[in-house]
Amino acid sequence: MTMTTPSTGGGSAASVRGVRAARVVWRITKLNFKARLEYRGEFLMGVAIGAIWQVSIIVFASVLLTRFPGLGGWSSSDVLLIASMRMLAHGLYVLFLGRIQYMNVLVQEGIVDPCLIRPMPVYRQVQLAFFPVNAIGDLVVAVGLFAAALQRSSLDWTAGRIAYVVAGVLGGMLVEAALFTALAAAAFHFPATSYWCQWLEELMGTFGSYPLSILPKAASAAFTFVVPLAFIAYFPAGVLTGHGGDMGVPRALAVAAPFIGLVAFVLSRLLWNWSLSRYTGVNG
Amino acid sequence: MNAVIEARGLSKVFHTTVRRPGLGGALRSLVSPERVAKVAVRDVDFRVGKGELLALLGPNGAGKSTTIKMLTGILTPTSGEALVAGVVPHRDRERNAHNIGAVFGQRTQLWWDLPARESFAILRDIYGVPEDRYRERIDEFDGLLELSEFWDTRVRHLSLGQRVRCDLAASLLHDPPVVFLDEPTIGMDVVVKEQVRRFLRHQVEERERTVLLTTHDMTEVARLAERVVLINHGRIVLDGPLQEIRRRFGGTWQIRATLADPADVQEIERQEQLVGGDGPDGSPGPDGSPGVGGSHSPGGPHGGQRDLSSLPGFAGIGVQRREGPRVVFGPVGDGAPSVHEALKVVIGRFQVTDLALEENDLEDVMRSAYLSDVPGQKHSSSSSAAVTSASQGG
Repeated sequence: MTMTTPSTGGGSAASVRGVRAARVVWRITKLNFKARLEYRGEFLMGVAIGAIWQVSIIVFASVLLTRFPGLGGWSSSDVLLIASMRMLAHGLYVLFLGRIQYMNVLVQEGIVDPCLIRPMPVYRQVQLAFFPVNAIGDLVVAVGLFAAALQRSSLDWTAGRIAYVVAGVLGGMLVEAALFTALAAAAFHFPATSYWCQWLEELMGTFGSYPLSILPKAASAAFTFVVPLAFIAYFPAGVLTGHGGDMGVPRALAVAAPFIGLVAFVLSRLLWNWSLSRYTGVNG
Repeated sequence: MNAVIEARGLSKVFHTTVRRPGLGGALRSLVSPERVAKVAVRDVDFRVGKGELLALLGPNGAGKSTTIKMLTGILTPTSGEALVAGVVPHRDRERNAHNIGAVFGQRTQLWWDLPARESFAILRDIYGVPEDRYRERIDEFDGLLELSEFWDTRVRHLSLGQRVRCDLAASLLHDPPVVFLDEPTIGMDVVVKEQVRRFLRHQVEERERTVLLTTHDMTEVARLAERVVLINHGRIVLDGPLQEIRRRFGGTWQIRATLADPADVQEIERQEQLVGGDGPDGSPGPDGSPGVGGSHSPGGPHGGQRDLSSLPGFAGIGVQRREGPRVVFGPVGDGAPSVHEALKVVIGRFQVTDLALEENDLEDVMRSAYLSDVPGQKHSSSSSAAVTSASQGG
């Protein structure tokens, strides 16, 4: 019989705990992946829908880009960088943090209650609820598109630029995660958030891949400050391709996009935690 | 008593909106919603000691699950305090998680698409159970619950009974000192139920776990619980041993015997005349029915009851009805013996050719207990009045 008390200790204890936690996450992910493989047809369809979804976005973008030599002063290769960075960020979001989008379903299925009585952060357990097969399709297409964008880009890929593009993609992933996490905070109490999630995903797929400067001022302002999808790929890609000054916001704000992504994610997590603390359960 | 589970003035209030009837009402609710506070649990106090099994009983919607959810840390109490193995559950969830195991019979905690055994492995990792201890426990649980027959099947394809057995094992893998079980034998056949009861008894007696259990299965209560807490309308109605519920809510019995020896019949007749002033008349019982039902006053003075306490060993036993040699014995007063004790006395004293026993079973007792209203509830029906008077009489 053990009555455990949390181990206290310095940095080494914390890092041991961190390694252990990472190992647990990896093991559960492997099992979840295996579970999805058991349903062969469903697995393949999951991969396919991820790929087809993204390809349909690419088809639309390429039609647009071949009809017009550029969009609002952006060359087609610059636009391609926005589109590919967004798609990559989206694929990584689906892979690592995308389960938060199904929060309303998880709440209604009663998955949250047992999470609350296990010694692991609830948010992490939600992410480990199942393996996102469609992320494989998303990422395959995204990596292909990203490779094409790099190939067509005339930029000199210095270490600094490479570091910034990585930070930009990760920041983009966090912005998307922040938006869906904020919605998920509401999902604890209102199941209807699923429609909002669909709308948000649609919105990001439609407007996230293009230079927002082609839109009316009000619209691009809304996509910067209300639903901040400008920070996902438009700002970091613009900074990389030398459009830093003409994106309708101070250059520093555009440059800080990856950092803003991080801040937004932290804030959304705080909101989510607050909402969790007010969770009143299903079935009273 | 050194309490492992302690509820002190625990209350939970849910805020909901009242739905007004009709489309107009619904639109009005949309514009100006009428919010009401629904008290699910009010001022609940109880303590459970180490190695004790307590059954939390009550009708549907009485507040049992809400109480368990507060004690497990899933819900934050509106007021009052919960203390489980020295931890306030909702405040220190992860620490509490190591101390408790929980099974919610209606919902699984296993991974739906994985074989149960792989869920066990995940839980081993989450709780950090050393491999050798894990194997030991898995073997033990398999021995008691026969899990290996189906633990390689995906949880999605398990029957309810199989699934809950896996849930039980999963909840104990990390060897928690405290276990909460919300309807753990739901959907099980009698054989499996018996197996699970043995398992639970083993956990309490051999492993000294503290168990809090809710169930609607009265056989289970009778087999497992030494103590029950009866909760209704969110409040504790009774906290005590099972006999206490029987006593307060109509735990009555009858022994119907046909006496072989005419001398015995005369002896009873003589006793009846001796205490003849006790009842309003000497005729059969008030309704002529067997008289076993929730509304009977168990201990108090009973119409037609003839006290036999002047016979040696017959304290608390009386005659309810008699037709010639056919006598119906029943309990009298507070110190009435159980049906088994009374039976021993009756067949020890009299020669009996025919015998039938009737005991108010626990289901009947619980029915009258559930129907009894706590004071202050607006729908105090006639049945509640009957039970209230019964409890005063007893």
